[in-house]
Amino acid sequence: MSSRRVPLLRLRSHPLKIALVGNPNVGKSVVFGRLTGRYATVSNYPGTTVTMTTGRALVGAEVCDVIDTPGVNALEGVLSEDERITKRLLSTGGAELVVQVADARNLRRALMLTSQLALTGLPMILVLNMVDEAHTRGITIDTTGLSEHLGIPVIEAVAPDGRGIAELRDALTSATRVLNDRPASMSHVDWASSTAAKFRRMNVVSASRVREAINRAVREPLTGLPILALVLYATYLFVGVFGAQTLVGALEEGVFDGFINPAATIVAGDIPVPLIRDFLVGDYGLVTMGLTYAIAIVLPVVTTFFLMFGFLEDSGYIPRLAIFSDRLFRSMGLNGKAVLPMVLGLGCDTMATMTTRILGTPKERLIAITLLALAVPCSAQLATIMGILGGISLWALGLLFAVVLSQMVVVGFLAARVLPGDRSDFILELPPIRLPRMRNLATKTALRVRWYLGEAVPLFLVGTALLFVLDRIGALDLLTSAARPVVTGALGLPSESAGVFVMGFLRRDYGAAGLFKMAHDGSLTAVQSVIALTVMTLFVPCVANLLMIIRERGVRAGMAILAAVTVIALGTGAVLHAVLTILKVTF
Amino acid sequence: MQTTIPLAYMTSGSRGRVSRVARDLTGRADRLAALGVTPGASITVLQTFPGIVFECDQTEVAVERAVARAILIERD
Repeated sequence: MSSRRVPLLRLRSHPLKIALVGNPNVGKSVVFGRLTGRYATVSNYPGTTVTMTTGRALVGAEVCDVIDTPGVNALEGVLSEDERITKRLLSTGGAELVVQVADARNLRRALMLTSQLALTGLPMILVLNMVDEAHTRGITIDTTGLSEHLGIPVIEAVAPDGRGIAELRDALTSATRVLNDRPASMSHVDWASSTAAKFRRMNVVSASRVREAINRAVREPLTGLPILALVLYATYLFVGVFGAQTLVGALEEGVFDGFINPAATIVAGDIPVPLIRDFLVGDYGLVTMGLTYAIAIVLPVVTTFFLMFGFLEDSGYIPRLAIFSDRLFRSMGLNGKAVLPMVLGLGCDTMATMTTRILGTPKERLIAITLLALAVPCSAQLATIMGILGGISLWALGLLFAVVLSQMVVVGFLAARVLPGDRSDFILELPPIRLPRMRNLATKTALRVRWYLGEAVPLFLVGTALLFVLDRIGALDLLTSAARPVVTGALGLPSESAGVFVMGFLRRDYGAAGLFKMAHDGSLTAVQSVIALTVMTLFVPCVANLLMIIRERGVRAGMAILAAVTVIALGTGAVLHAVLTILKVTF
Repeated sequence: MQTTIPLAYMTSGSRGRVSRVARDLTGRADRLAALGVTPGASITVLQTFPGIVFECDQTEVAVERAVARAILIERD
């Protein structure tokens, strides 16, 4: 025993590196949050964490680095990109101690991974998380026996309630290497099955009847599709009506137009230099355009959207949509699993681009990233779309989504046939249906909103400033006349909207914000609004998204996607303009 | 007598044990094994359309039909 024990508490030149490793969706990020006090996004589906997050934890008198890793089902065989990140960490000495977090309901699968982790030779601790859910399903585990058998501390935990976390902290100092009794001729699976059988007792109790009924209802097409329609409609009511109309109206008219903007104009009126005055409160003013847009128009929608979205994420609903959409995604060279990054893209395309790591092949990743950039509007974009078209008609809104969706299917269909490589099999683990915890929902939403304010608002102010400068030095006029053949000719839009498209390149929702203003001024007709918004929606979402594409897939792929998406966006706009003109549609 | 049939042809609600997972070049068997779908594991079929959903040792898994054809089941 003492020969295996690794002295952990001693003076060292760097903090001890502890990696939290485990199957997907077992609660590694919750344990991480409990140990470090740092929040890593927690959701109820496999693949929430696709990158490593590091935080500090105090163990005894020592500060340790705790690393939250993407979930792994195996360390050998065929791995997806997020799994490879964890494997690389373990094989390159990035971790000195492994805390394996496991779902207590599924000891056999956990032990399959333990068996593979034992080969790293690192000292380990096994945390059996969600023992409460295991108990309600009639599963009990002989923790003491298992601990003796494996020769490592085994801790029962309910991480969201903090149960077992103090024990885990204490156990960190007594982590040891696994006593590996698996003969070389025995597979990990067989060892795990026999070990699990020894220490686990199952009195199979079926899950609660209500939960089972909900699970079946959302999964079966006959009930699941009407439920999906209901969920979408509820989302529209909460985000599109309550957020985009009620809240936006109150903030824009009540707070900004009624108070902040007049006040700013009065204050700025005292500034003797007209240039600075215009810069603050003019047509492209920082306050009158920048802040009004970012705070009054987008913030309420982003907040209501993230609330709704977080609720769906934590309930375990989203992965079940993969069952319905598998066939559609297969025609686009993907499989049902792609529904996760696609739905996530409605929150933020940049994050979703990273989530494509859960997909099996490089081809699938390239297609999914392209479709995200082309056809999935992010929450800020949805805000502006609903803000403008919500005021026109539901038909206009429907037309925009129909055009964008059809572009997605057409481009996906072509990409599936043109690009080399294969798609992977559709094999997806479905998380249990759970009632979301309000605390996690609140924290997650607050952090996402703060992230929006921290990242999107400054960029918007920069964009506003850029537009102001371009306007002053006359470059905007130049650009406007250069873009006129496309903007007025092909798309049938007023030539001033060229400036709006410049903003659209920075972040497409800012471009849409410009359109919002034009639509309010009456300088855009309903049909023009639909065309301009469709083109803007099909643009690459934002500079950050483009940089993420380049990081994930390289400069060449990034530039190719940018070029393709821009051409498709303008082409679609031109066709839409022609069709609407011929049919004399007015809304 | 026990019969072995592919998972794809089982009816909703039926149970059995995995007897074999056909290997192919894409590592399909490895990925299923990592989810616990290995010979000997007991499964319950929950749904057969549009995809196949089954429970295997407390894990709920959804697969497409082609995958379900590669999983051979000994019916209880």
